[in-house]
Amino acid sequence: MKLVHKITLGNTLGIICIILVAAFSYHEFDILLAKLRFVEIADNLNASFLKMRLAEKNYFLYKDKSALQEIREQLKKSYATIKKLRKDITKAIGEKNFQELQADLRAYEEAFELVENADVLHTSGGARGKAIREAGRRLRLFSEHIVKIERKSVNKIISASKRALLTFFGLTILVAITSSYLFFSRMFKNLRRIERTANAVSKGEFVKIKGPIPDNELGSAMNAINKMCEELMTRHEQLIQSKKLSSIGILTAGVAHELGNPLNNISMVAQTFMEVHESLSPEERLEYMNIILQETKRIKEIVQNLLDFSRPKKRDFKISDINHLIEHSLVLVQNMLHVSRIRPKLELQDNLPPVFIDEDKMQSVFVNLITNAIQAMSAGGVLTLRTKYDEKEDPDRIIVQISDTGKGIPAEFLSNIFDPFFSTKGTEGTGLGLSISYGIIKNHKGEIEVESEVGVGTTFTIKLPIYREKEGKDGRQENHGNR
Amino acid sequence: MEGKRIMVIDDENIVGKMIKVSFERDGYIVETFVHADPAMKRLSEEKFDLVITDLKMKDIDGMEVLKRIKKESPETKVIMITAYASMDTSIEAFREKADDFFPKPIKISDLKERVATLLGG
Repeated sequence: MKLVHKITLGNTLGIICIILVAAFSYHEFDILLAKLRFVEIADNLNASFLKMRLAEKNYFLYKDKSALQEIREQLKKSYATIKKLRKDITKAIGEKNFQELQADLRAYEEAFELVENADVLHTSGGARGKAIREAGRRLRLFSEHIVKIERKSVNKIISASKRALLTFFGLTILVAITSSYLFFSRMFKNLRRIERTANAVSKGEFVKIKGPIPDNELGSAMNAINKMCEELMTRHEQLIQSKKLSSIGILTAGVAHELGNPLNNISMVAQTFMEVHESLSPEERLEYMNIILQETKRIKEIVQNLLDFSRPKKRDFKISDINHLIEHSLVLVQNMLHVSRIRPKLELQDNLPPVFIDEDKMQSVFVNLITNAIQAMSAGGVLTLRTKYDEKEDPDRIIVQISDTGKGIPAEFLSNIFDPFFSTKGTEGTGLGLSISYGIIKNHKGEIEVESEVGVGTTFTIKLPIYREKEGKDGRQENHGNR
Repeated sequence: MEGKRIMVIDDENIVGKMIKVSFERDGYIVETFVHADPAMKRLSEEKFDLVITDLKMKDIDGMEVLKRIKKESPETKVIMITAYASMDTSIEAFREKADDFFPKPIKISDLKERVATLLGG
């Protein structure tokens, strides 16, 4: 079910509950009001009845004829009230009780009329006096009885409503908490999966979201992220290639210079030879030709290095000597070192255990780090390339360090420098070199770290797992499967 | 051109060597250097009629050599040579009063012609 549907359903159920409670409360209050209204009417009637009985007493005790007038008036008033408020009264006490009340009133009236129409004054002890007193008593008893019942019923309704509302309130809170918990815990779980992947991607590890993908908006987002990861993986490969090409761009000036010199040497030797060959001894002629051969060899080496560096190669993991690879990388940047007047210093430990690496990719990491180091230093700087292996300290890995004596990286940038598109070189850097290097090292199951102090220099430390005979085949498969 | 003194500064020693062989046949006195510092020291000891210097060298920028020569000995002619010439560097060289600019590979006969013109006139 889609999230928007779940939320709509939840809201609709909530609204229905509120409407039900409102209807229930409205109904209860309606009854309550009717009952209260009746209690009010009944109080008025009771007052009239009381007055009738008082007049009745006066008539019998003091033979006061005007008392009969009072009873007649109160009777009239009571009839008027009953007639006028019949609807309200029946609503509260029902038709049966209403009829009984009316009958009692009529009985009283009849008894009263007998007394009223008689010529003689009646005593309270007489038959007519007894009848009227009995009817009056019954009328009051009944009306007081129903008032009592109604008061009780009002109390009952109020406490029942209170209970119902409290129960509903409790249930609502319970349902809201349970459903929110179920709803949000699943949502947050999925959001956390997305977060983990996003973090991995920002570190250059393009892993897809694993496990079942829910069929809702989060699922759509997960599918989009997975597609993005696939796309990034492809782009990453392309970027490595393009970064290499841009490194070649940086190297081009140097290479042009490198090639220009031996070409010029050959040309000048040839020109001079042609000019002076007659006066040269056979040894001197051989020397001239040797210079040409040497310079040709020099050109061939430069071209070969460039080809090795630029040619897109298939993933090619092999057992390799890291010292040899570092020396080879240094040749590629020789001219940059010359031009920038940076002194390279090699501190390579002898007899390093072999590593199982893609030499082409590892070389691009070294060239990238060395290029960065050269760019960070001014003339006279020292570039140190160091390799170490200490069986006691870390029996499984060798260490490669590339240190410069450059301007250093401010502490606030250190945590970002492996992020894609992060560059401290302004418009000159693509911000991809270190990110790609990071990816390559990770792909070799290695680690790359940086330490830096502003004004003192920067050291990159790479830790690479050493090659072990029995693990070789496994390592090969793992490495191939990665990217 | 007898006795005219020429200095060649290029970290590629073959350049100096070949210029020396070729130019000395024509009677020039040629001294060659692969580092700028001893070359500058020698320049302060002795007057040279012409200096041929590489633009890009390991220990010093050829443009710096040009500026120093033109400051200390303005009458000395300077020819810049380089293996990697761009329009910018050649313009800068002329702005710094270089007398000529030769991209590598150098044609020795052209260089000789140019040197003869500069020193003859």
